[in-house]
Amino acid sequence: MNTETKTRKSTMVKAINQALDLGMEAFPEMFLIGEDIGEMGGDFGVTRKLWAKYGNERVRDTPLSEAAIIGTCVGAAMVGMRPVAEIMFADFLGECYDQIVNNAAKMHYMFDGQFKASLVIRTACGGGFGGGPHHSQSVEGWFLNVPGLVIVAPSNPADAKGLLLASIESDDPVLFLEHKALYRSKGEVPEGYYTTPLGTAAVARAGTDVTVVATMRMVPFALEAAEMLAGKGVSVEVVDLRTIRPYDADTVIESVRRTGRAVVANEAPGIGGLGSELSARISQDCFHQLAGPVVRVDGADTPIPFSDELEHLVLPGTDHIVSAIRRAMTQPDRGA
Amino acid sequence: MDESTLSSLYSDMWLIRAFEQGLESEFEKGNVPGMLHTGLGQEATQAALAANLEATDAYFPDHRCHGINALAQQRHRGDGRRIMAELFGRSTGVCSGKGGSLHSADPRAGNYGDNAIEGSYMATVLGVALAAKMRGEPKVACAIIGDGTVGRGEFHESLNMSAIWELPTLYACVNNGYAIFTPVGKGHASANIIDLARGYGFPCEQVDGNDIEAAHAAVLRACDHIRGGKGPYFLEFMTWRWQGLFTGEFRPPDEVRYWREEHDAILMAGARLKEMGWTDDDLEKVEGEARDIIESWIEFAKESPPPDPAKATADVYAGFEVSPS
Ligand SMILES: Cc1ncc(C[n+]2csc(CCOP(=O)(O)OP(=O)(O)O)c2C)c(N)n1
Ligand SMILES: [Mg+2]
Repeated sequence: MNTETKTRKSTMVKAINQALDLGMEAFPEMFLIGEDIGEMGGDFGVTRKLWAKYGNERVRDTPLSEAAIIGTCVGAAMVGMRPVAEIMFADFLGECYDQIVNNAAKMHYMFDGQFKASLVIRTACGGGFGGGPHHSQSVEGWFLNVPGLVIVAPSNPADAKGLLLASIESDDPVLFLEHKALYRSKGEVPEGYYTTPLGTAAVARAGTDVTVVATMRMVPFALEAAEMLAGKGVSVEVVDLRTIRPYDADTVIESVRRTGRAVVANEAPGIGGLGSELSARISQDCFHQLAGPVVRVDGADTPIPFSDELEHLVLPGTDHIVSAIRRAMTQPDRGA
Repeated sequence: MDESTLSSLYSDMWLIRAFEQGLESEFEKGNVPGMLHTGLGQEATQAALAANLEATDAYFPDHRCHGINALAQQRHRGDGRRIMAELFGRSTGVCSGKGGSLHSADPRAGNYGDNAIEGSYMATVLGVALAAKMRGEPKVACAIIGDGTVGRGEFHESLNMSAIWELPTLYACVNNGYAIFTPVGKGHASANIIDLARGYGFPCEQVDGNDIEAAHAAVLRACDHIRGGKGPYFLEFMTWRWQGLFTGEFRPPDEVRYWREEHDAILMAGARLKEMGWTDDDLEKVEGEARDIIESWIEFAKESPPPDPAKATADVYAGFEVSPS
């Protein structure tokens, strides 16, 4: 990213909206498709004003037909279009799971490179707003085991814009996760068209004592935790994974080898998900540099309950990351 | 139908039958890996579709469409052998052996790929149709689906979206009476799938899928309608598959006799040709030619080298490398 470019403070929703607008300008073969994304601008307002600018043909409302929405994207991509779908809530990805894992993700491989699934599926995920069991899930674990799929998970508005434009440019199918609790968060966003490369993590804060690997909403929590602990003499490095699949193992491993301690923070349930993958990978590749076991911060192994009093019990936050870092720091330095 | 059209379709039907029978015998000898579903008995339906789909169209075949794929490959790409080689898992196959009998594709032949998630391409076909409509290309986007496959939710999602967007989609429903073991009338609210399609408001036709003249005329009507920009079309072909269960025949003997002896597509077309003056020798010559061609295709497949091991991890992504573990 060119550091000379002008920036403007903007919410994540606006940054994503800008990326869609710039993508539509740059790629005549791009179109948007989803439920009530047209005149209404989508449930979260992400596609606002795009229908007025690009019209019915390129900003396409659909009935509640998630399989057909993604099927349409796959078929259109097979003949060279660049569709971008909105699945209103990530929880509904079950309705089009087959299209994603059996068609979009396998198309390029099984037909020997003859088709490209150049499509993006944007979806609102994550908890923290009282959405209840069917509107709050973190679904990355559902898709982590799917070769051929790219999973992108931004934590701030500037990355959201650059990563979405990179996803639109990509010839692979991208599942683009937008954490609902980050939609209204603000940050400096460069103006104009730019891309943030897929498959590369960012060091969101440099540090020397412990590495926290985080995604989406866990990143601001980790940064907050790092700030709190800085006052207590602990230097925390925060790695924002940004792309969950294929993920940037080099950056993670380099960081952990340097700090010798690792915390992995992730909102989804712990079993069989990103936390499992990262901790296994770190343990395998950094074993000799680690002062102790990887410490994990995960969501509880439950669906997400509705009541606020219950919901906050199952979702990890800054406090959980602070205690995880403390635990990691109590491990004796091996003096390597 | 004029004699030359019928004669050409008769050859096509024999090519399909010879292809499937040749394949079946190689499968029994253990030379073809995986599973095998054949289009035997459905030759008229398949030949009618293949004859009307151009290289610039897009069709999504199902698990019994080797014959359509071979005809399309032969006609549009000049080399039907590559479909046979794909089924043998060889490097010369249309997907270098990565797809096999359930996943062969060549878009330049109009073949957008078999899919072993039966009918999931009822959704995919929408995108090809939509892109054609947005670009103003006169393409027919065709999904070939079995009667059983109609049970999927995508059937309704797809017909509905084709209707509201007036897409150039052709639904070719091959009603062969059964989904594996389940009779069509037991699996659906009606044994006539057309009853389930009619509510979407675009033209629907039910035709005798073993009568090549009727089937061909119906496909032609449907394609003309679609190419004329008039929106989707639904065809139900009433036919019957020779293949019972993998373990054997389960259908009543009268039914088997009717479809194999009285209402077989090739026998009926042969009878029509004889009315036009053909002799038994003329008919046998066509069969012999088809069998010779298929024998040479099988030979080609068997002699072709296996895929390059690098193919195992190639093309997982278009933009990222995957290293062999
Ligand atoms: C989604 C899905 N469900 C089930 C199967 C297993 N299966 C393969 S063929 C078949 C029956 C299909 O029946 P029909 O559509 O009538 O086709 P036919 O074999 O009769 O030509 C089934 C159940 C599958 N491949 N995909
Ligand atoms: Mg059937």
